[in-house]
Amino acid sequence: MAEPVTEIENAARDRHQLRTLAVAITTTSAVLCAVTVAVIYAMPLNRLWFLHFPLGFYLLAQGLLIFAIVVAFWYVRVQERIDHTRSINEEIA
Amino acid sequence: MVGPSRQRTPNPHLGAYYGIVASAFVSLAILLALAEQLGWSDGSIARLMMLLPLAFYLVIAGASRTLDIEDFFASGRRVPPVYNALVLAAITVGGTGFFAYTGAIFFLGFDALAIGLGWTCGLLLASVLFVPYLRRAGAYTLPAFLGQRFQSREARIAAGAMLIAPTALLLAAEMKIAAAVFAIFMPLPFWLAVLLIALFVAAAGILGGMRSLTWSGSAEFIAGAIGLAVPLIVVSVLLTHLPAPQFTYGEMFGSLQGAETAAGMSPVGPGEIVPVLPETTPLQAGKPFLQSFGTITRAGFFAIFLCIALGTAALPTLLSRSGVTCSVADQRRSTAWALALVALFAITAPSLAAFAKILMFRDMALVPTEGLPAWLSVLSQLQLAQARDVNGDGVIAAGELFVMRDGVALALPILAELPYVLTALMAAAGLAIALAATGSHLFTLGTGLAEDIYGVIDVRPIELPRLMVVWAAIAACALVAAVFLLVAEVDALRSALTAFAFAGATFFPILLLAIWWPRCTAWGALASLGTGFGILFLCLTVGGFFGIAETATGICAASLIAGVLALGAGVAASLYGPAATPSDAAYFEAMRRPDGETLFDQSQARATAAEQRANEE
Repeated sequence: MAEPVTEIENAARDRHQLRTLAVAITTTSAVLCAVTVAVIYAMPLNRLWFLHFPLGFYLLAQGLLIFAIVVAFWYVRVQERIDHTRSINEEIA
Repeated sequence: MVGPSRQRTPNPHLGAYYGIVASAFVSLAILLALAEQLGWSDGSIARLMMLLPLAFYLVIAGASRTLDIEDFFASGRRVPPVYNALVLAAITVGGTGFFAYTGAIFFLGFDALAIGLGWTCGLLLASVLFVPYLRRAGAYTLPAFLGQRFQSREARIAAGAMLIAPTALLLAAEMKIAAAVFAIFMPLPFWLAVLLIALFVAAAGILGGMRSLTWSGSAEFIAGAIGLAVPLIVVSVLLTHLPAPQFTYGEMFGSLQGAETAAGMSPVGPGEIVPVLPETTPLQAGKPFLQSFGTITRAGFFAIFLCIALGTAALPTLLSRSGVTCSVADQRRSTAWALALVALFAITAPSLAAFAKILMFRDMALVPTEGLPAWLSVLSQLQLAQARDVNGDGVIAAGELFVMRDGVALALPILAELPYVLTALMAAAGLAIALAATGSHLFTLGTGLAEDIYGVIDVRPIELPRLMVVWAAIAACALVAAVFLLVAEVDALRSALTAFAFAGATFFPILLLAIWWPRCTAWGALASLGTGFGILFLCLTVGGFFGIAETATGICAASLIAGVLALGAGVAASLYGPAATPSDAAYFEAMRRPDGETLFDQSQARATAAEQRANEE
C-alpha cells in the first residue's frame, strides 16, 4: 500500500519541480532578453519619442524597471499556485 | 521526531507604530520649517534634523534588544513581508545609491542607468533563484547554508572567509557616505564623524542583532523615502507644475540640452565610468545627459548591468535576511516588494539628476549678464561645487563649474533656492538610508566572522558566550572599518562596484549549483568558491600591472569571466570528484519543499528532543 502513495508523492514532487524550473527560466529569461534587446537597439529607439522621453532612454530608465516589477509579482502569484497544487496533491496522497 | 512549529504571528500594531514614525519625521520637518521662518540658524536646523531622528533610531534599536538566539539572528522569523522589503531596499540602494548613483547619472546621464537596472534585475534573480530555498533552509548566514547543504565545515569556513571581501567593501562605502554627510551638516571633523557613525551602527547591531536592524532599518527607510520625495516633488512642481518628477522630467529635456550646449558640452567618446568620476576632487560635467554610450561602450554597459545584477542576487547581506519572514511565500512576496521599492528609486534618481543639471547650467549660462548665482557660494561653503577660471580669461563660464559627484542630491534644494530645511531633510534622508545599509553590512560581516569561522572551530553550546562572540566581532569590525576609513581614501561607488563584482563571481555560481543542481558536492562548492574569488582577486591585484580590471567595465568583465569559470569548476569538481551522498540528496529534496518549518529549525528541534530524552534516561 505504501508504494503507490510514494509514487504519487514522487509524481507530485517531480511535477512541482518541473513547473518551478519552467517558471524560473521564463521569468529570468524574459527580463534578461528584454534588457539585452533594449541595450542593443537603444540608439535606434532613441529616435522615437514616448511621453517626452527618447524611447531607448525611457526603456532603460523606467520601462524595463516597470516590466521587472510586473514580472516579479506575476512570478509570486504563479509560484504560489504551483506550491499550493503540490500541497493539495500530497494531502490527497 | 519533529517538534511543533513555533507560533510566528507578526505584531498587529506595526502599521500604527510606523505610521507614528512617519508622522513624527514629517512633524519634525514642519516644525523646523516654521523655526527657519522664525529666524533659527541653518546650523541649528541641520543639527536637529540629523540628531533627533538618529536618537529615535537608536531608541527603536534599544527597544528591540534581545538575547534570544532566533531573534538575534533571524528577527524571530516573524517579520511581515513589506517591513523586510523596506530593509532589503535600503541595503540594495544604500547611501551609495542615494548620493553616488544620483551623482553618476548627473555626470553620465544615460550611461549610468546600467547600475539601477542591475539592482532591480538582481533582486528579481534573487527572488526567483535563491530566496525561497534559503528561507526553507533557514540558516542564519549564507556560509551556514552552504555548510548545511553540503554538510561540510570546509565549505562553510571558505564561504565565511570569502564573504569578508564584498561585505567589508560595502561597509566601508556606506560608512564613508554616512560619515561624510554627518561631517558636513553637524559640522564635525571627518574622523569624529566616522567614529560616531561606527559607534551608532555597532550599538544597533549589538543590542538586538537582526531584530534591531529590522525595526530601526524600517524606520530609517521611511525617513529616507520621505526625505528624498519631499524636496524632489517641490522642485518638480516648481519646474514642471506637476508633483510626479519621474514622469515629467522628460518635458525639461529641451531646456537641459540648451543649458548643456551653453556650457560647452558636446558628445564624448567611449571611456570608463570610475576614472571619469574621482570622488575626492570636484569634476566638470562633460557629457550630454541623453547621449547614449558616450563614456562606455554598449558591451561595457551590458557588463556593468550584468555584474551588478549577479552581485545583487548573491549579495550575502541581502541573502542573510532570507530567513526573517513567516514562510517561504512571505519571503518571496517580500523580495518582490523590495524590487518594487528599488525600481521606484531607480526610476526617481534620473529625475533628481536631470533637475539638478538643468538648474545648475541654466543659471551658469546667465553668468556673463547676471553674475555668479547665489547658490554657488553656498555650494562652495559646503564643498559640494566650485567655479574655477580654467582658461584664465577673468570670467567664470558655465563649463568651468566643478561639482562633487556625491553632493548632487544635497545640491538640488540649494540650486532650487528652497528653504534650508529641505536641504537638511535630504541630508537626513541620505544619512538614514546609509545607516540602515551600514548596520546590515556590519552585522553580516560580524556574524560571518563569529559564526562561520570562529563558531565552526570553537563550538560552545551555551547561549550567552555565543552571542558575546558575535558582539565582539561586530565591535571589532566597526573599529577596523572606522580606522580603515581614516587612513585610506575610499571611493564609495568604486568600492560598491567591486563588492558587487566579488559577490557575483564568488557566490552566484555556487548558489546556482547548490540550489538547482542535485549532483553538486562539497568538492564542487569549494572549487567554485575558490575559482570565482581567486580569479577576480588576481585580476584586481596582479591584473593592474597588465591593464586588466582597472576600470569599472574591466572590473565587471573580470567578475563575469570569473563567475563563468567558477560555474565550470563547480560542475567539473562535482562530476569528477566524490559523488553526492544520500544525505546531500535528501537535503536537496527537503529544501525544495515549499511548506513546513525551516530545515534548520527542524534539526534544532530534533537536537533538543534528543537532549531531553538523554536527560530523562
